[in-house]
Amino acid sequence: MTLLRVAEPQEERAHRLEREFQAVLDAAVDAVVLFDHEGRIELLNHAGERMFGYNEQEVIGLKVHILLPEPYRSQHEDYLRHYIEIGEPRIIGIGRELLAKRRDGSQFYAELAVGRVQGTDPPRFVGFIRDVTIRRNAEEALRRSEAQLTIAQEIANLGNYVVHYDGQTEDYWSPHLYRVLGRRFGEPYVGVYDYLAPLVHSADRARWQQAREDLAAGARSIDIEYRILHPDGSLRYVHHIAQTTLNAEGRVLRQVGTIHDITDRRRAEDEARQMQDRIAHFGRISTMGEMAAGIAHEVNQPLTAIATYAQACQRLIASEEYSHEDIAEALEQISAQALRAGEVIRRLRTFVKNREVKRELIEANRLLEDVLTLAQTDARHHGVHISLETAAEAPQVQADAVQIQQVILNLIRNSIDAMQDVPEPQREIVLRTQVDAEGDVEFMVADRGVGLDPAVAAELFNPFFTTKPGGTGLGLSISRSIIRAHGGKLWCDANPGGGARFFFTLPAITASGSPQ
Amino acid sequence: MRGNSNNARPTIFVVDDDAAVRDALKLLLRSVGQAVETFGSAQEFLEAYSEDRPGCLVLDIRMPGMSGLELQQKLNEKHSILPIIFITGHGDVPMAVEAMQAGAVDFIQKPFRDQDLIDRINQALEKDSANRAALGERNDIRKRLETLTPREREVLDLVVHGKANKVIAGDLKLSQRTVEIHRARVMEKMQASSLAHLVRMVLEVGQA
Repeated sequence: MTLLRVAEPQEERAHRLEREFQAVLDAAVDAVVLFDHEGRIELLNHAGERMFGYNEQEVIGLKVHILLPEPYRSQHEDYLRHYIEIGEPRIIGIGRELLAKRRDGSQFYAELAVGRVQGTDPPRFVGFIRDVTIRRNAEEALRRSEAQLTIAQEIANLGNYVVHYDGQTEDYWSPHLYRVLGRRFGEPYVGVYDYLAPLVHSADRARWQQAREDLAAGARSIDIEYRILHPDGSLRYVHHIAQTTLNAEGRVLRQVGTIHDITDRRRAEDEARQMQDRIAHFGRISTMGEMAAGIAHEVNQPLTAIATYAQACQRLIASEEYSHEDIAEALEQISAQALRAGEVIRRLRTFVKNREVKRELIEANRLLEDVLTLAQTDARHHGVHISLETAAEAPQVQADAVQIQQVILNLIRNSIDAMQDVPEPQREIVLRTQVDAEGDVEFMVADRGVGLDPAVAAELFNPFFTTKPGGTGLGLSISRSIIRAHGGKLWCDANPGGGARFFFTLPAITASGSPQ
Repeated sequence: MRGNSNNARPTIFVVDDDAAVRDALKLLLRSVGQAVETFGSAQEFLEAYSEDRPGCLVLDIRMPGMSGLELQQKLNEKHSILPIIFITGHGDVPMAVEAMQAGAVDFIQKPFRDQDLIDRINQALEKDSANRAALGERNDIRKRLETLTPREREVLDLVVHGKANKVIAGDLKLSQRTVEIHRARVMEKMQASSLAHLVRMVLEVGQA
């Protein structure tokens, strides 16, 4: 501090400087301590008194190292001696962090800077001591929170990164991101996209490249799942989310992203899907079991007709009193009945076979009509009449015919069961297709059965929920997942005038074959 | 009962909901010279059939609406004596057993050999014919019984129970001569050739 005053008497100036020096000392936030070449304290300011809990008068003449605990106390004596003997400024003027000791013996983190007072010999020193407890605590908290974040990222198997576009700030990879992407922590920095580019699975690359370009072109965010070939040789599924921050002019400031290794989750999902396929197959088989008696009957009828026609023909021919017309008609019937039996068996086989899902363009009405032939026997044996109301537009759907038929059969089966206790003339099922307001094809299976209790309706689609003795409780839940997989929905309501109605939709396809 | 039904030509009534099976059966039975009538449902048959028509019923056990078993029950309620041959599918054995317990003459599984069916039909027709003959005779006996006066009926009952004229005269407080006259009238009206014949006729209609 240089204070320039003109024409001031020497003594007055000295007094004024003394007062100003005292004011500066009193106002200082840091503790200030003056000590001589032997370390004897000559001055301790107000901040120092507060910081250490001493009165200035108590410490004048005491060694400055009383303000430090071991080992800093001895070290400090050594430093001071060293400085005076060799003149090497080991601590002089350099801030260092150490523990300081209060009068009551408690310790705190402090930053210490010591300077030699210019022009003194033997030298005198001034020490500045700053309480850094708050900063240390904040740093400690930050360190702990970073450690926790790293642990959390390890547990989640998720890493994050920040890319800066200001040309100054260094990009950031979280420690666990190195692990997720198969690098060692501390390896030279690589741009996350440059690093990922050669690892992305070829089947996902086009999609990934598109997301990268979208971001470069100013997209605010991306959210994408893809596979990478991890450097350890394994194939990993990752879920990558990135967001960009723009400045007021719309320029990209930075991009923050997370890369989440979801391989385990995906595997679990794959397993769940396989399980569901198996359950669906099981569901088909058990539906089949329920209908087996009816189907056997369905095949037996044409066989009986065939055998009887053929035997009648033999007798007619043997009797030599026959008309050619009778024989011709019988033969025609034999062939028609053989085809009828074959058709039943063909339907049965496609229905039971556990097979790949196959979507094909098919007329919605035909789905209903085909199911009707399978369901008719079962319905007849339960005294149920089924009527068909097909959409005049003959809409087409892109669907796995067997799966959709399974859904319809299952709904019919439920309707038949629901009508066991109503008088036979009332036992009617209406199957209907129509095009709804959105242009989708709506299928309906409506019955006049006991209807749906609201409590039951709420649980109806839950797996393993059943109201039937011996039921698996899987029919409706499988049906719903089949319909969802086709992009449609399945729901139910009360049939006005009694009973229940089940509906599902399938997205309609225009005649040209593209979705509407 | 009307007319002399026992002499009418027997008819095979076929009831099956499956048109092809029905039609094939009709052709088969016609080929062996039988008269056949077919019906698509139990209800249709019930409406068309009258009790006095001899023959037999070939009945599908599983049908929509009224099942074969229900039709059998309805016919039993009407004291029908038409023999029933059930045709059953696989797995219908418990139903067939039930049908047999309810009086069906036979059952045959689909698909069947023509000769098996024809044999069963022939047996059923024979049974129907015998039943109807017996039924006809019983009806005649009942008609004759109805021609007896109350007094003659009293005498008949005591005669059938093996009582001598003298005992009957004592029981009814009649002269022995009068009992003899009544007894001769009874024998004449019942067209009995002997006392044994008279007793058998009364037992036949269960009025002893």
